[in-house]
Amino acid sequence: MNRVKESLRGLVQPLLAVLIGLLAGAIAIMVVGGSVVDTYAEMWKGAFGNFYFFTNTLARSTPIILAGLGVALAFRAGFFNMGAEGQMILGGLSAALTALYLPGPGWFVCIAAIVAGIIAGGIWSLFAGWLDARFGMNLLITTLLLNYIAINFGGYMVSYPFKDTTGSAAMAQTPMIDQTVWLPKLFQGMSLHAGFIIAIVAAILIYWFTHKTVTGYEIRMLGSNPSFATYGGVRRIRMMMLSMIISGGLAGLAGAGEVLGTQYRFLDGSLSSASYAWSGIMATLLARSHPLGTAVAAVLLAALQTGAMGMERNTDVPLEVGSVIQAVLTLFVSAQIGYSFLKRRKEKKSNATTV
Amino acid sequence: MQQLFDAALFGSTLRIMTPILLAALGGALCSRVGLFNVGLEGLVLIGAFSAIVGNYLFGNVLLAVIFSIIIVMLFSALFAFISINLKANAIVVGISLNFLAAGLTTFALRAIFDVKGAYYDKDMQGLPKWDIPLIKDIPWVGDVFSGHSPLIYLGILIVIGLQFYLFKSVSGFRLRSVGENPVAAQSIGIKVRGIQYGAVLMCGVLCALAGAQLSLGQVTMFTEGMTAGRGFIALVATMLGQANPLGVMGSSVLFGFMEAFSIRLQGFTLPTHFTQMLPYIVTLVAMFFFKDRTYQQDALKAGGSSR
Repeated sequence: MNRVKESLRGLVQPLLAVLIGLLAGAIAIMVVGGSVVDTYAEMWKGAFGNFYFFTNTLARSTPIILAGLGVALAFRAGFFNMGAEGQMILGGLSAALTALYLPGPGWFVCIAAIVAGIIAGGIWSLFAGWLDARFGMNLLITTLLLNYIAINFGGYMVSYPFKDTTGSAAMAQTPMIDQTVWLPKLFQGMSLHAGFIIAIVAAILIYWFTHKTVTGYEIRMLGSNPSFATYGGVRRIRMMMLSMIISGGLAGLAGAGEVLGTQYRFLDGSLSSASYAWSGIMATLLARSHPLGTAVAAVLLAALQTGAMGMERNTDVPLEVGSVIQAVLTLFVSAQIGYSFLKRRKEKKSNATTV
Repeated sequence: MQQLFDAALFGSTLRIMTPILLAALGGALCSRVGLFNVGLEGLVLIGAFSAIVGNYLFGNVLLAVIFSIIIVMLFSALFAFISINLKANAIVVGISLNFLAAGLTTFALRAIFDVKGAYYDKDMQGLPKWDIPLIKDIPWVGDVFSGHSPLIYLGILIVIGLQFYLFKSVSGFRLRSVGENPVAAQSIGIKVRGIQYGAVLMCGVLCALAGAQLSLGQVTMFTEGMTAGRGFIALVATMLGQANPLGVMGSSVLFGFMEAFSIRLQGFTLPTHFTQMLPYIVTLVAMFFFKDRTYQQDALKAGGSSR
């Protein structure tokens, strides 16, 4: 009974945040002179209106879920991994190159490409973790800087050595991956691919890992109370390396999924311009790093994005309304984190414990 | 070599450095009062956009800059309120503020100017270029230091003023004591919250100036996400400079020079990808050599917020 009550109380704040976000969106819609009800109706239709739009939303949420899970795990351990974008790009690039140049049967190459994506993302993230642990270089900043290096490196690889020279288009991209290697579609003629199932499984696995295993408990402990965790024998550096490699691996998996399931090639700028990684960070903030909550929040954000696209097709309201709603949502939730922190402090005082 | 290191390279170093320097000084003020402001990027972006809007509304550069300062102060007050009064994690608030800035500016670009991506108007007047008497006649020095926008000179003056304020004035001592130990500061009657608010609002003013230099300095235009990570580079400059105005100036010069240099290298046969990568790699290397120990202690004090 208590658990149910607790989860319900946990739901109140996100719902309130969604309400405030929609209110801010309504103001923005009124500013540009649109009808709030009609615009939101079009938005809903664009995201969930029919089966095709619904699967589109789920397809868009796939990389957001995976990248968000990675960030969530690092947050849980107390580290700000802002490098999901770079990790995702390197993951996508490695997956594309593996899929193009590794011989063998299609299913084998596909799995190898996914693994290559995970490894590339994991190593890039681990590098930042190593710089922090070994040399004390602030993780938040190094991961941000490594993003730009990865973006430029990916751009170079597909503009020069691995550029697609077969087509007439002058796009910076690799050649098309062979059809046998593609991730299968879940429904005929829809954009939703098997990557979505992988993302859901990953969310459940991460939930199981952080909430049911000893290592997961140690990671959460490290994030919530570092000195207590160290006192209790948690090896901080080791846990940091572990959470960073999983975190980056998930972002790399997100990139690999996009390449193998949606674009079938690595296209320069396609992963960063859709800002999947930043949406993932938003999803994590909304769900306060809960793995299953992150998946739900990612679907919500994807719905806002696809909904905004549908809305722009049918009304005069610009699709940027979607980003305003997302941003207000996130800001409001970040304030709520402080609110709960305040409550915790009060409880501490009434228990008469010293800080 | 002669072609590579001419006066124009150092002149453009100064121009590129200024937005980073101004934002980094704002970041330094925030970190001096114990708030690590990750939202610099967003504040500068809002500054750049509101400067263009102000220019469009009033047709006057000075009024545009003042308008931009007011708008950015509103947003920095929001940051201050959430992280000081609601006691939210400043890093999380900063990240959310960046989202808000990106979303609001792209939306307002559509709503106000009805364009996508970028707004440009050839009739709009940018910041003036000032020739410094005497200096402009010295051969090499004149080419480097003369003929820039007033904000560049203002930035250098602010560095000197801030250095003096922080380390030589009573009010500056109080400000630093808030960051060092808020409880002790409060016990001797210093209004901790008031000082924190003041520092964050000043940071807003500096970020507005940084944004104005970006959008009104060279070309009078605004493009979506035109800060392109400069706010984060400013954050690094704050850390490398140990939140010391002179140190911040030194690291900003380094970043400005690297970027100017990488632009210059594009004229040669190197692929642009590598020249664009260069400033970030140099930043990483610089972080390796100049570690900010004080920040690490701050983070530990704050309950390991980032580490």
